[in-house]
Amino acid sequence: MPERPDPSAILAMSKVAGVPIDQPTADRIARAIGPAFEGFAPGALAFDLEPSTFVAVQTKDAPR
Amino acid sequence: MSDVALLSLTEIAQAITARKISSREATAACLARIAAWQPKLNAFMAIEADSALAAADAADAEFASGRSRGPLHGVPLAHKDMFYEAGNISTCGSLIRKDFVASTTSTAVARLRDAGTIRLGTLQMAEFAYGPTGHNSHFGPVCNPWHVDHITGGSSSGSGAAVAARLTYAALGSDTGGSVRMPAHFCGVTGLKTTVGRVSRFGAMPLSQSLDTIGPLARTAEDCALLMEMIAGEDPDDPTCRGGEVPDYVDACGESLRDMTIGIPDSFYVEDLDSDTAKVLEETIATLKREGASVKQIALPDQRKLSAAAQLVLAVEAAALHKTWMIERPQDYGPQVLMRLQNGLAVPAVLYLDTLRWRSVALAEYKAAVEGCDAVLAPVAPVAAPTILESDVGASTDAEAVIQRLTRFTRPVNYLGLPALAAPCGRTARGLPIGLQFIGCPFAEATLLRIGAAFQRATDFHRRIPDLT
Repeated sequence: MPERPDPSAILAMSKVAGVPIDQPTADRIARAIGPAFEGFAPGALAFDLEPSTFVAVQTKDAPR
Repeated sequence: MSDVALLSLTEIAQAITARKISSREATAACLARIAAWQPKLNAFMAIEADSALAAADAADAEFASGRSRGPLHGVPLAHKDMFYEAGNISTCGSLIRKDFVASTTSTAVARLRDAGTIRLGTLQMAEFAYGPTGHNSHFGPVCNPWHVDHITGGSSSGSGAAVAARLTYAALGSDTGGSVRMPAHFCGVTGLKTTVGRVSRFGAMPLSQSLDTIGPLARTAEDCALLMEMIAGEDPDDPTCRGGEVPDYVDACGESLRDMTIGIPDSFYVEDLDSDTAKVLEETIATLKREGASVKQIALPDQRKLSAAAQLVLAVEAAALHKTWMIERPQDYGPQVLMRLQNGLAVPAVLYLDTLRWRSVALAEYKAAVEGCDAVLAPVAPVAAPTILESDVGASTDAEAVIQRLTRFTRPVNYLGLPALAAPCGRTARGLPIGLQFIGCPFAEATLLRIGAAFQRATDFHRRIPDLT
């Protein structure tokens, strides 16, 4: 499971992204997005898997 | 019928083509209803009465001289205010773009215009299409035509309200996390969330490149089919759009439910429903069986995980799109939209890419789980429309949690890029509509429209019209 981000990490990431935020905002973001980190646990993905594989699966056997 | 605005899209298109009703009559009828309802609903962002009537007169003159642009010649429509039309303002429901004049035209709108439609104006929406309720802190909430103290759902809030109140024969919306299906459900209209890659997104305001889809809201499945025949198909301006021929969606609507199999999930979509929604689900299953469909219970892969993945993808992609304005004009966002955009700053790139890499695995698992089913039936939301007051969570600390709960049945479909048809299937005791969604496999819109049309031949929920009181 991906580790839930803590406010200090969010402050650092926002600064690197060029969108600085304050401490209360970082606290709020941690609470808001944290559950999604806990809900998404993909496990070990195959090495060769890439985002565009989605289109191949999508169109396989699909009607026109 | 005395009010031609009450006809369906299919009926008005046929009536104009047969010269039984003029484009001016149809346009004037819509404008009269807009004038009466707009103060109650706030469904329109802009009303362009003079230019609409002038365009209708031109359409009638073309017909008189023996020329027709196409099957929607002279039909007045309005769309969510995020579809660019060169030379016109497209606010995207925002202050930031309140004066933005588009230099390009959305492919979907261009195709409808080429088919002969008339522009009535533009429809309200959630700011930057980032909100499922219909609240907009800049332009006010759009009100539900069935009870004006209730929400319409969003983000295609104006589209849902305007179609329900018969102010436009149909409207385009967009669906990134439920934005076509939520207003269809709450307002009692039919809405088609299309497969990712089915309808060109060129010239439509982006929110999330991986999840965005364009789709119609209309009174019937047949009306949605008619619009899909105009807007679906490859577009050189949108390389993510699938090539090849587009099915005959209208023709599909004529078929019955015999030989169709509908899957009913045994978990997630049937949990924590309010009593009205649970009852409507049971009644709909009974109707489907009565009309000849087979119904079978199915076990779907973990939908909560799909929902979480959708939230992560949307958060990151929206934040990246809005980064410059988040730096330069944060004060011009509504508090809730800025708050949700900021959430995307907390997602590491590796995790974001994992959500996209896992998408094919998740879709393959889903397709295997629904094998043998033509569609899966599920609620759009666990409740009918809440009141505007109780859903106005603004930027409160639990706002994101409230939003995620409300959209938990729509987001998995977006993550998998699937099509889903939301159709009115019942009512609460107070008369608020309840819609359910038929979820299909990729590019199976024709099957969904067939199911929707057959269901609507057996029911009358889509025919009910709200009163202006």
